[in-house]
Amino acid sequence: MLKVKNGDIDKMGLLYERYHRQLYRFIFNMTRQKELSEDMVQNIFLRMLKYPGGFMGFGEFKMWMYHIARNAVYDHFRKVKRTPSHSDLTNWEEKIEGEQFTDARLEKEQELKTLETAMEKLSDENRELLILCRFQELKYHEIAKILNTTEGAIKVRVHRAFNQLKINYLKN
Amino acid sequence: MECKDYREQFTLLLTDALDQTQRSEIESHLASCTDCRTEFEAAKKVWDLMGEIPQPDPSEAMLTNFDAILSNYKEELILKKNPIGEWINKLREHWFLQAQPRLAFSLILVAFGLTLGYLLHKPGQSTISYNRQIDSLSSQVSEVKQLMVLSLLQDPSASQRIRAVSYTDEISNVNLKVIDALFTTLNEDPNVNVRLSTLEALVKLSREPRVREGLVRSIDLQDSPIMQSAIADAMVKLQEKSSVQSLQKLLSRKGLNQMVKLNIEKSIQKLI
Repeated sequence: MLKVKNGDIDKMGLLYERYHRQLYRFIFNMTRQKELSEDMVQNIFLRMLKYPGGFMGFGEFKMWMYHIARNAVYDHFRKVKRTPSHSDLTNWEEKIEGEQFTDARLEKEQELKTLETAMEKLSDENRELLILCRFQELKYHEIAKILNTTEGAIKVRVHRAFNQLKINYLKN
Repeated sequence: MECKDYREQFTLLLTDALDQTQRSEIESHLASCTDCRTEFEAAKKVWDLMGEIPQPDPSEAMLTNFDAILSNYKEELILKKNPIGEWINKLREHWFLQAQPRLAFSLILVAFGLTLGYLLHKPGQSTISYNRQIDSLSSQVSEVKQLMVLSLLQDPSASQRIRAVSYTDEISNVNLKVIDALFTTLNEDPNVNVRLSTLEALVKLSREPRVREGLVRSIDLQDSPIMQSAIADAMVKLQEKSSVQSLQKLLSRKGLNQMVKLNIEKSIQKLI
């Protein structure tokens, strides 16, 4: 990353290759919109290229990337003001392979749908915590760095978010 | 620890964030407490199910798109660093887009004009007619000047008459009428100065035999001492031997100025 700061733009291409998939998944899980997420990923990388000064204080490229991505996502939320926009829901019929229409498969489908609904019912902050922890598989100390808080606070908050998800899930 | 405290650690257990002792402690509790075990099983089920939610991949185009964005940005950056380059680039763009067809068009027009001009132009003929025109114009001009000389010589002012005499220098082919007029002036003009300048003008025209004869004849007619000396000098200058007789005749005239007498004698000697 330091090389990018010194004007080596090709290095940003390598970082993009390495991280764009991960970032895309984060943004998609937050927004549930494919095209918007792709645009945002590219804009975020371009912003990092143009203003490499923000990298200072993060120490690690990944943390900086998530920091900027969060800002972008919340900017987007503020702009659309939580108007119910269409979300690109997972097409379960295609996703789950294996046995043909068995009861087990139908049951699994039902469970996953319920879980997705439960996720969507969470607040943005709780959903974000679970996405970072479970889907992005970040460590507590990493999340703490991104959210600019302590590791202990994150442990508690993730636990609460997960409990909320369980409640939402079991309600259905 | 109570069950409540253990349950607070479920998420940490699921995320594998506990050290060995904490872990074995909670596992031994789960083995003994059915409620907590049920609770943990439920949590683990949701947790595992979360892992089964398929994570979408971005489209393949995203990689190539970003490459394009990067190279665009690179060019932008280079241009920013070099404002002159940017200027030249803009100019070049402008030139290629706008000026080139215009330039080509104007070149074609020029070429067309040149060809047309060459085809219409018939060399030789026009130069001749041009020269002819010039000739006729210049002859017209000299005619006008001669007329002017003739009319000015009638002028009552002496200075105007001198001017008229001086015009004869500019006339290439002095016609007879003008020469006659000049002689009339030379012999009859009341002003000595006019007569003197007329004499000068006539000396310049001495290629004509008629002018020489007229000058010799005019020796007799001069009575001013200045004119007598001047005409004697002119004779010497022209080496006009036929004037000796007239000069000798002048010498014999009564009341001739002494200085003029000496001058004429010298002139006669030089002529002989």
